[in-house]
Amino acid sequence: MLNFLIYTAVAIFVLVLLAKFVKYSTMPIHLRWEIYPVPHDPRHEHGGSYYEEVSWWAKPRLKTLAGELKEMLMEMLFIKRVFTYKRSLWWLTYPFHTGIYLILVWFVLLFISALIDIFAIGILKMPVYYLTLVVGSIAIILLLIFSLALFIRRVSDWELRSYSSFLDYFNLIFIFAVVLTGALAWQKDFDFTIAKDYMKALITFSSPPTVSLETQIHIALLSLLLIYLPFTKMTHFLTKWFTYHKILWEDEPVIGSEMEEKLKKYLTGFKVKWSAPHIDPNLTWAEEASKCDLAGKCEVKL
Amino acid sequence: MRERIAIQDIAKKEGQLVKITLEDLMKLPPPYDKPGMEPNVTEPKPEWSQNYVTELDGYVAIDIPWKPKNKEEEEAMVQKFINGLKKLMDKEANWTFLQPLLLSLEYCARCQTCSDACHIYISSGRKEIYRPTYRAEILRRLIKKISSGGNFKAKFLGDVELNAKTILRLAECAYRCNLCRRCAQYCPLGLDNGLIAREIRKLFVQEFGIAPQALHAQGTAKHLTTGSSTGLTPDGLKDMIEFFEEEIKEKTGKNIKIPVDEKGSDILLIHNAGEFLSWPENIEAFAIIFEEAGLDWTLSSEIVGYDAVNYGVWYDDVQFSRIALKHAEIARKLDVNRVVVGECGHAHKALTVVADRIFVGEYQIPRESFLPILWDIVRTKKLNLDPNKNDFPVTLHDPCNVVRLMGIVEPQRKILREICPKFREMKPNGVYNYCCGGGSGFAIMNSMNFPEFRTKVSTRMKFKQILDAFQDNISPEVKKYVCAPCSNCKGAIRDILGHYNATANCGIHYGGLVELIVNAMVDIEQPYIEMF
Repeated sequence: MLNFLIYTAVAIFVLVLLAKFVKYSTMPIHLRWEIYPVPHDPRHEHGGSYYEEVSWWAKPRLKTLAGELKEMLMEMLFIKRVFTYKRSLWWLTYPFHTGIYLILVWFVLLFISALIDIFAIGILKMPVYYLTLVVGSIAIILLLIFSLALFIRRVSDWELRSYSSFLDYFNLIFIFAVVLTGALAWQKDFDFTIAKDYMKALITFSSPPTVSLETQIHIALLSLLLIYLPFTKMTHFLTKWFTYHKILWEDEPVIGSEMEEKLKKYLTGFKVKWSAPHIDPNLTWAEEASKCDLAGKCEVKL
Repeated sequence: MRERIAIQDIAKKEGQLVKITLEDLMKLPPPYDKPGMEPNVTEPKPEWSQNYVTELDGYVAIDIPWKPKNKEEEEAMVQKFINGLKKLMDKEANWTFLQPLLLSLEYCARCQTCSDACHIYISSGRKEIYRPTYRAEILRRLIKKISSGGNFKAKFLGDVELNAKTILRLAECAYRCNLCRRCAQYCPLGLDNGLIAREIRKLFVQEFGIAPQALHAQGTAKHLTTGSSTGLTPDGLKDMIEFFEEEIKEKTGKNIKIPVDEKGSDILLIHNAGEFLSWPENIEAFAIIFEEAGLDWTLSSEIVGYDAVNYGVWYDDVQFSRIALKHAEIARKLDVNRVVVGECGHAHKALTVVADRIFVGEYQIPRESFLPILWDIVRTKKLNLDPNKNDFPVTLHDPCNVVRLMGIVEPQRKILREICPKFREMKPNGVYNYCCGGGSGFAIMNSMNFPEFRTKVSTRMKFKQILDAFQDNISPEVKKYVCAPCSNCKGAIRDILGHYNATANCGIHYGGLVELIVNAMVDIEQPYIEMF
C-alpha cells in the first residue's frame, strides 16, 4: 500500500510539474520586458546591453554562457539576492534551502547505495555509506531547525504576517511535519540501512523491509507532500527558469529571430476584447493599432 | 507615525488610509536637515472627496470624477472590474504581458525583499500602501476570489473584500509607483511588482476608460489626434524650427539649417516634444552636434512623428501600440535607415525595446539610442572639445528606462569622463539607480495636489542623491550641474530644485547631456549652459 502511494506520488509530482512547464512555455510571446544586467550579455559586468553599440542590429550579437551560468549558480546555490538585499532572512532561508538540496543529494546517494547493493560494487560501498550518513544527518538537522525558524519568523514579524495566508504557514508546517517524522524514523535507522533497503525494494519492485510506525507515517506524509507540492508556489524552482530566462533576461530582438510569424498571428488573430470607449473589443490588435491614420484622422473616443 | 495598514483595510477603513507628514518622511542631507528648510504638506480640499478618490493618502492622481453615486452604480463598477480582471487573465486580451503577470501573481513568497528597493516606500517613511507588495497582494487576492471556487480559495490564500472602496483605492494606488522596476531587480524569484502596478492601470483604462487626464485625454489621445501631447501642431513645429535656427545663430554664430522631412535621410531623429517647448537649447544642441559631426539626419513634421513620447507604455497597451505603429509608419514613409531617439527615457524603451514585438514586416525599422552615437562622435574627435569649459561639479542621473530597462550605461559616462573634469557619480548608480520620481507619468501629472506627492515623496530619494553627490561643494557660490539625459527626468528634477529652492540654496542647476557637449565646444565662445 505504501509502495503504491510512493509510486503514485512520484508520478503525480512529475506529471503536474511537466504540465506546469508546458502551460508557461506555450503562453504567447510577451512584449520585451527585460531588466539589466542581463548576464548573458558580455557587457553585463556594468549592466550593459547591445544597445550600447552604434547600429547594434548590424553587428553580431555576442552572448556569454559563462556569465549566465555564473549568475544562475549564484542564485541557485547561494540565494544571492536575499543575501544582498535581505540578509536577516538569508540566515534562515539559506540553511533551509541548503537542507532541501542536501536531502535531494541524500536521496540520490540512497539510490546509488541501492544500486551498489544490487550490482554488488563492493569498492564504492563504504564511501557512499559514509557520505549518505553525513549528508542525510546534516540535511535533517538543517530542515528541522530552519523550517521551524521560518515559520516562527513568519508568525512573529508583522511585515510578513500581515501578507501571509493560511497556506503560507501550512506549507512550512507540512514540511516541518515531514522532516520531524523523518527525524523520528531516523532514530530507528541511524545509519540509513533500512532506508537503503527500502529504496532497493522500490527499484526492484519487490516487497519492502518492515519499518517502524514512525517511518510509515513519514513515508505517507512525504508522499502526500510530493503530491501537494507541484500544485503550490513551492514550485518556484521551476518557474524561476521562466521569470529569469524568459522575462528578465530575455533580450531577443525581432530582427534576425524566428518569432515574427507568431507575432503576426497574435496581431491579426487575437481580438482586443477590452471595453473602454477608446477600444473596439471586436477588432484584432492589428486593426485596433492602425485605426488612426497618418492624415491625422483618429477615432480615439473618450 | 507608522500606521499598521492591513490588506483588508483597503476595503473597510473609512477616511484616508495613510497621511504623509514631514516628520515621517525620509530625512534629507544638509542643508535640508534643519527644520523649516522645506515647505509643509497640505491637506486635500474637503470638497474633492465628493468626486475624487482622496481616501488612499489624500493625493489625487486620477483627476476624473468617477466615484459611484448610488448602489446601482457601485454594483456596475464591481461587475466591470470583474470583467477587467478576467481580461487581464485572457490569452488574447492580454497576450502582451500574460506570462510575466501570471508568474508574478502566482509565485510571490511574501518575503518583502522588494520593499527595500522602492524609493517611494522608503521616502514616505515606509508607509504600508506604498510597499511594492501591497497593491500586488490585493490584485492577487481579488483574482483568486473571482476564479472558480473563489470563496473557498480566499479562506486559504487570503481574502480581501471586493467593493467600490477597494476598486477606487486600488486604482489610485497603481499611481503611487514609478514603474522603475527596481523591486523586480531585488526579487529573489524574479517577480515584478512594477508590472503588476502597470497591469492594474491597464485594467482601469482599457475596461473603464479611467486614467489620469495627463496620460490619457491630454496625453495619448491628444498625441494621436493633434500630433503631440504638448498640443504642438505641425505648423507650430515649423515656426519653432525657424526660431531655433535663429537662436543657434545668435548664441553660437553658426548657420545651421535643421533638416525636416528629408526623405531618404540616414537618421530620423525624434525628440520628446516637451523639449521644443521647455528646453529648446536641447533641440538646438542636437542640431549643432549632428551637423558638426556630418550626420545625414532629419526631423519629421508629420503628426505624432515629431513627438517621441509614448505614454501608452505606462498604462495602456492599445494606445501604446497605436503610437508606436505611427512612429514606425512615419519612419517607413521617410525611407530612413534608422530611427534615433533623443533625450527621452521612456521613448527609448517604448520604441526600441517594448514595441519591438509589435513591429512586423515593413514596420521593423532599426531603432537606437542617441547615446552610442554621441559617444562615437566624441571618441573619434569629430568635435573639438575642451573639458576645461565644463570645469564645474557634474553628476549624472541615470534614467531607468535607458539604463536599468535597456542596458545603456557606459556611453554617457565615457562622454562625461571625457568632457567634465569634475564629474562624480551618484550612489547608487547605473542599473541600480533610483528613479527621478517622475517616472511612469508622474513628471507630467500636475493637476490637483499630485505635484505635492511627487515633490515630497517620489522625487525625494533623487533629491537626497543629488545633495549627497555635491556635499563637498554644497554652498550656492559653487555652480553645479545635474545631467539628466531624459525629458521627464529633467522635468521632475526641475520641480524638486524649485520646491526646495535648491538652486538658490545650493547652486544646483540641471540640464541634458548634449548641452554639456556643446558647452565644451572650442569654437563657441559664449557659455552654452546658462548657470552663471
